[in-house]
Amino acid sequence: MPVFKLNVNNKEYTVEAESDMPLLWVLRDLLDLTGTKYGCGVASCGACTVIMDGNAVYACQRTVSTCVNKKIITIEGLSEDGSHPVQRAWQKAGVPQCGYCQPGQIMAAAALLGKNKKPSEELINETMSENLCRCGTYHRIKEAIHIAIEEINK
Amino acid sequence: MKKTAIDRRHFIKITSLSSGGLAIGFMMPGLPALAISAYDCEFFQPNAYIKIDKKGKITVYYSKQESGQGVDTALPMIVAEELDADFRDVKAEIAPYGTVPGSEHDTGGSQSILGMYDSLRKAGAVAKAMLISAAAAVWKISPSSCAADNGEVVNTVTMQRIKYGGLVCEAAKLPVPKEVTLKNPKDFKLIGKSEKRSNLKDILTGKTKYGLDLKVPGMVYAVAERCPVLGGSLVSVDDAAAKRVPGVLKVVSYKGTGAPMHVRDGVAVIATSTWAAIKARKLLNITWDEGKKNNENTEQLFKTFAGKAKDAPKIEVYKKGDVSKYNGKNELVAEYAQPFLAHATIEPMNFIASVKDDSCEIWGGLQLPDWAVNTIAAVSGIKKEKIKVNLLLMGGAFGRRLHFDFAIEAVKIAQQFDKPVQLVWERTDDTQYSPYRPANYHFLKASTDEKGSIISWQHHVLGTPIAFMTEGPDTKNIGEMDGADHGFCYAIPNIKTGYTPVDFNINRGWLRSVDICVNTFPVESFIDEIALKLKKDPLQFRLSMLENRPDFKTGEGPGALTQSPARIAAVLKLAAEKIGWSSPRKPNHYIGLATHSFIFAKSYAAHAIEIEMLEPKKFRIVKVVAAIDCGLVINPDGLLNQMEGGLAFGLTQALKGEITITNSRVNQDGYFSYELLRYDEMPPVEIHITDSKEEPGGVGEVGLSTVAPALCNALAAAGNRPRSLPIRNEGYSWV
Ligand code: FES
Ligand code: FES
Repeated sequence: MPVFKLNVNNKEYTVEAESDMPLLWVLRDLLDLTGTKYGCGVASCGACTVIMDGNAVYACQRTVSTCVNKKIITIEGLSEDGSHPVQRAWQKAGVPQCGYCQPGQIMAAAALLGKNKKPSEELINETMSENLCRCGTYHRIKEAIHIAIEEINK
Repeated sequence: MKKTAIDRRHFIKITSLSSGGLAIGFMMPGLPALAISAYDCEFFQPNAYIKIDKKGKITVYYSKQESGQGVDTALPMIVAEELDADFRDVKAEIAPYGTVPGSEHDTGGSQSILGMYDSLRKAGAVAKAMLISAAAAVWKISPSSCAADNGEVVNTVTMQRIKYGGLVCEAAKLPVPKEVTLKNPKDFKLIGKSEKRSNLKDILTGKTKYGLDLKVPGMVYAVAERCPVLGGSLVSVDDAAAKRVPGVLKVVSYKGTGAPMHVRDGVAVIATSTWAAIKARKLLNITWDEGKKNNENTEQLFKTFAGKAKDAPKIEVYKKGDVSKYNGKNELVAEYAQPFLAHATIEPMNFIASVKDDSCEIWGGLQLPDWAVNTIAAVSGIKKEKIKVNLLLMGGAFGRRLHFDFAIEAVKIAQQFDKPVQLVWERTDDTQYSPYRPANYHFLKASTDEKGSIISWQHHVLGTPIAFMTEGPDTKNIGEMDGADHGFCYAIPNIKTGYTPVDFNINRGWLRSVDICVNTFPVESFIDEIALKLKKDPLQFRLSMLENRPDFKTGEGPGALTQSPARIAAVLKLAAEKIGWSSPRKPNHYIGLATHSFIFAKSYAAHAIEIEMLEPKKFRIVKVVAAIDCGLVINPDGLLNQMEGGLAFGLTQALKGEITITNSRVNQDGYFSYELLRYDEMPPVEIHITDSKEEPGGVGEVGLSTVAPALCNALAAAGNRPRSLPIRNEGYSWV
């Protein structure tokens, strides 16, 4: 089986995997980084969102062979201890219900704010509408994003 | 198979009977608090719910299953309140299976708070009394000269204090008191104040392990191909190509089951990674015998419903007065329809099983673990005592995990492999093989008198009953009638309601709010329809039939529930007031109202929805106001979360939720075709909580049933009433 070197959360990993294995399953099954969630596998839910070279990407849509020489950040590596401004905002707004979709939501919001400290409401809408939440925490996600925006622009 | 099926009412009854103090003094097996000696006492553990260590860290074990509804916070709050603990010292953990009576793990029907409130208060009070006695012994004073305060016992004479952690050894030696005094609710410090979810940080850092995230040593993965038609069977499988996929370990087939869970015949690929299993599954070449019922479709089903709607119902459910006197007099009739629905939790179904010889260990999220274990034992031939159950957090449930078809499958697969196997349902499986909320159809007929009051009301519900699936077609258990039976809340002198079951070859199951949701849409729409027809104010029209009606029982005996029309009226009035019902509306703005009770959980909620019409069939939701009375609120933040979530769930159903079936196969295959509400579609929402001192009720389901009728009533006010959901099918669009 081919071997790939991956940089995940600023750590180097060597994984042995079929080259078409999506990053999602590499993270979850091979590296035991299960914070990145499986929801659909077909780019419809956003539960698997990670940050790759600063961009939010669906881990289910990137085969491992396309992830070499990229900097991948997962929810486990967003901060050491939940102190990233987006995580703190999520904490303050008390967003999660079941919480399953939330790593994906947080990574999508973190990627957005990482590139744009004052995104327009349209851009927030467009970005966050890619991530589904069956528990219906959208109201609080919105609140949390605005808390985070305020925080990072202080 | 031994019949272990229970219907939902039944299980609510079981749940409420099984609480009520039985569990107090119940000991964790293997941890006899009384026998612990002074020098090895690491913990004080007076009952199944509380463990206090020497550092004063308190673990509260919650026996209800967490799937996002917040029992991991509200239940510990109840314990901590009576324990007078500092809530920051409290850690919440799932009560391991078997540490409480089996049925106490059951989670559904919004019963967790109702079922546990009394016993958890007592559990906390017992622990506190023992800590106080322990401190009194240290100080050699009477316990009556001691008080508990924020994790410490205080000597009320000298004002000395000892932390709970310092009393662990002494307390553990004391007998567990049988009688304890509970606090006066007006002295509550914690209950009624918002607390954030107890495991919030773990969720936000990705540390939380849901079922799908757990790795058991040696575990391998499986995905399964199932017979496309329910009731069909496996003829043959060619797995040569699948087996060539690197990582594939074995391909196994298994037989399906009938009631209660209707597992389909399947072929599973077992592999070293989920991906290898998914890939190999696509290469399976399977021949199925689809059986005779392979050509059913929902289009025909709704035609069948419509064809029978005007006939007398097959089963009479509720009768009051004599409706026949009013037939044909000043009559209004209407028909309403709602489709099959899937739960669509973001975490797809999954389950881990490990079978060795005659014993088995299982891991996963289950809302009814006891029933699951009994059924697994019956299906697998493994004795119940030989099944070790590990209950895990769920990434959403909404009733989906009251069913445990996936758990049976996992055990059947693990019986054919010598390592623990995690069965993963792909999203397509989750969408296509769910126990669906039944499709339903309603024929309503009402007559009004010369004063403009409803004098007679008839409601014929047609549906594809759940009980046909869980209990078989001979069931005596009538269908989805809650909200249209003896608990019908409006004061109308002559009423007749009934049900007609129509079988259909797809599995059905319980979805959040179950029948209450099924019947609130037609009832709250039709009431509104009559008000508009009579040119009456829909608010006052409803209130005139609710406000002065005294509380009443829905039947005789212990199973009877209490309906409170006055509380249903009060939430309606509150929602209407807060949205500005009696203020002048802006041009093209319309408001719709709906109210109801979630009678099993003693909670009452109404929605008022304001829309702006942009085009004849295009609208924008300006604002949603919800009002709720659930008695004493344990955790207001949790209540708000449930109401916000209920709105999203209800809007999904109103706008776009629909499962359709062609040739006995579900047409939708995931979130692209079974769409959920999205972030940009969530309207502004305001939630008002009544100040109620009534006993605490449940809130997991009360927040969604009035959403669709309130929205449809707003659309009706604008000129066109949708009578079937989702309204997208009637040509509506929204921004
Ligand atoms: S799992 Fe990748 S988008 Fe759903
Ligand atoms: S919090 Fe449950 S799916 Fe989003």
